[in-house]
Amino acid sequence: MLEIVDLVKRYGDVVALDGATFTARRGRLVGFLGPNGAGKTTTMRAIFDLILPDRGEVRWDGRAIDLAARLRFGYMPEQRGLYPRMRVHEQLVYFAQHHGLDGRAAAGAATRWLDRLGLADRAASKLEDLSHGNQQRVQLATALVHDPELLVLDEPFSGLDPIGIATMTEVLRERAAAGVGVIFSSHQLDLVEDVCEDVVIISRGRVVAEGSIEELRARAGRRHLEVEVRGGNGSWLPDGGELTILERSGSRVKLLVDERVDLEALLARARATGEVTRFSYEPPRLSELFMEAVTQPQAGTAEQAAAAGAAR
Amino acid sequence: MSRARSVWLVARREILERGRSRGYLLSLVLTIVLLGAGFGLPVLLGGDEKTLEIGFIGDTPAALEPAIRSVATAFDEDASVEVTRYPDRASAEAALEAETIEAAVAVPADLSSPGEIVVREALDNTPRAILTQAIVGLRAGAALAPPEVVALDPRSDEDATAFVFANAGIILMFIGIFSYGYWVLGGVVEEKQSRVVEVVLATVRPRDLLMGKVFGIGILGLGQLVFLVAAGLLVSQLSGRLALPPTTAVSVVTLVVWFVLGYVLYSTALGFLGALASRMEEASNVTTPVTMVAMLSYFAAILLVTDDPDGLLARVLTFIPPSAPMVVPLRAALDAIEAWEILLAVAVMLAAIYGLFVVGGRVYSGAVLQVGARMKLRDAWRGSR
Repeated sequence: MLEIVDLVKRYGDVVALDGATFTARRGRLVGFLGPNGAGKTTTMRAIFDLILPDRGEVRWDGRAIDLAARLRFGYMPEQRGLYPRMRVHEQLVYFAQHHGLDGRAAAGAATRWLDRLGLADRAASKLEDLSHGNQQRVQLATALVHDPELLVLDEPFSGLDPIGIATMTEVLRERAAAGVGVIFSSHQLDLVEDVCEDVVIISRGRVVAEGSIEELRARAGRRHLEVEVRGGNGSWLPDGGELTILERSGSRVKLLVDERVDLEALLARARATGEVTRFSYEPPRLSELFMEAVTQPQAGTAEQAAAAGAAR
Repeated sequence: MSRARSVWLVARREILERGRSRGYLLSLVLTIVLLGAGFGLPVLLGGDEKTLEIGFIGDTPAALEPAIRSVATAFDEDASVEVTRYPDRASAEAALEAETIEAAVAVPADLSSPGEIVVREALDNTPRAILTQAIVGLRAGAALAPPEVVALDPRSDEDATAFVFANAGIILMFIGIFSYGYWVLGGVVEEKQSRVVEVVLATVRPRDLLMGKVFGIGILGLGQLVFLVAAGLLVSQLSGRLALPPTTAVSVVTLVVWFVLGYVLYSTALGFLGALASRMEEASNVTTPVTMVAMLSYFAAILLVTDDPDGLLARVLTFIPPSAPMVVPLRAALDAIEAWEILLAVAVMLAAIYGLFVVGGRVYSGAVLQVGARMKLRDAWRGSR
């Protein structure tokens, strides 16, 4: 399990991380979400000791991460980069050896991953001679070649074509199924919704939402309701704050309803006015949860400030 | 994984990648071709055709043969002289007729008379001219012999040759340090520019990465240098055109040791300062101070230390790390340095290199992940992990 505990990092007046805290479990695909500049890359760099946080700690399986532990991690930084003039296979061997594999094991692993990612015929090519998409695959192979316990990927899906996305998804799912911790950042929320089990949403250096997508939806306390009543006049719609009309066109209405609303009763009222041809009921999309989480007026901060004030 | 293994992996990558590069191999081939052309061709083309075969009749002055040689080489630097002695004029003339010699010469051993030159035809100009000039020169030299000079502290010819060698060695070293130092600089900037450094630093400590790079390129550079020197010495020995002073071995070892120390010091400085830049064009600005210090050290060594190799300035410069690699071999060649000074200078140098790795590693780690504008040294120091 990866634990990020109260990370703080300031660059001059800019606060990159402001007490970020979350956990990512082994065997789960964790989406790490947040607007640009929220602190995703800084957090990932802290995991690899590429920055020294002003405060806080990063733990793996309950222990502070040292170099030996880090060698069993795989990393794909946001700023992709490999040696442009180095041959693909040699490049993978080089990185595998840095992760502690001996020469023979490294060569075997490099060959295996190139096969797996469909790059076997490019093993002897220089990286710079590969297409952009294939360079991305090599970058992924670099993160995977030593069979890591934890994969940390910064925007792994950006710039991939649909086939690339499918391959990436398949590989990440397979790794998670093998008990590997997988955490990746992304701005493609629909994709994250499809692929991930858990999400962590970070905003302005703090974690504003965390948990399984199901849980977050349930916690949201709202549902999308779409109702079509033929012949009805709309009088079945109650007035009141527990439900908001989002869109209305003819006999069709889209609503946002609080979870306290008794849907059975609502359906009965609608039926009384006409023929109900549609009554669909959906939890909110991840993108809505995300928008809500990151646009919250700094509630958490205000509360904490109050708590801190009281403690003083 | 041990740190030594990380350093070695980085170094090995540099050796394999750069060692196989067209540029490196080409420079080796070019070295062979140039050395071959410089030393080998004249030997191959010249052959024995330029040998001047002279017959000496009876007793001649001992200085005659060297005098003829020196005049002959003045005519043609590849000429050689072969002397055959004949007891009397008749046997010399017979040899002339048989064309085993080109000219015969008879000069009294005490140079009391100009003597005579015998040639086949009066038109045989070159041997005649050479012999005439040699004999006139000898006689004039004897008449105008200057008083003998006795120096209390003689600098022998051997010392002079050693000095020339040390001088050439220092120039070679200066060029070497900077060629390979700039490879390190270029490598650092390239890694930063291609962003690969973030992947590497996820497993390798910044200081180890810098060290591995310096060592790897150093091994390549040293290989090239040793190859060049060895090939040069070999060719010059084979062609017999360059007499080596007996101290050559010691000079070469001294030079190699100080080349290694100087290279590590300068390339480490260039490497971590290079991390402050984001592009190669900026890198040369950032490293200007290093280049300046090196130039000053070089000129101080060549101009000042040569003048007064065991003066105060020379002694001080011996213990200042940037100037030591140029000053110590020079003083050693002039035999103007004590053993303890050399040992202390090496110790100071090693301490400076260690300090530079510590400071440099820290600046490097603070700078190498920052892209965009050129960084200030102080910010990099503070921003380090």
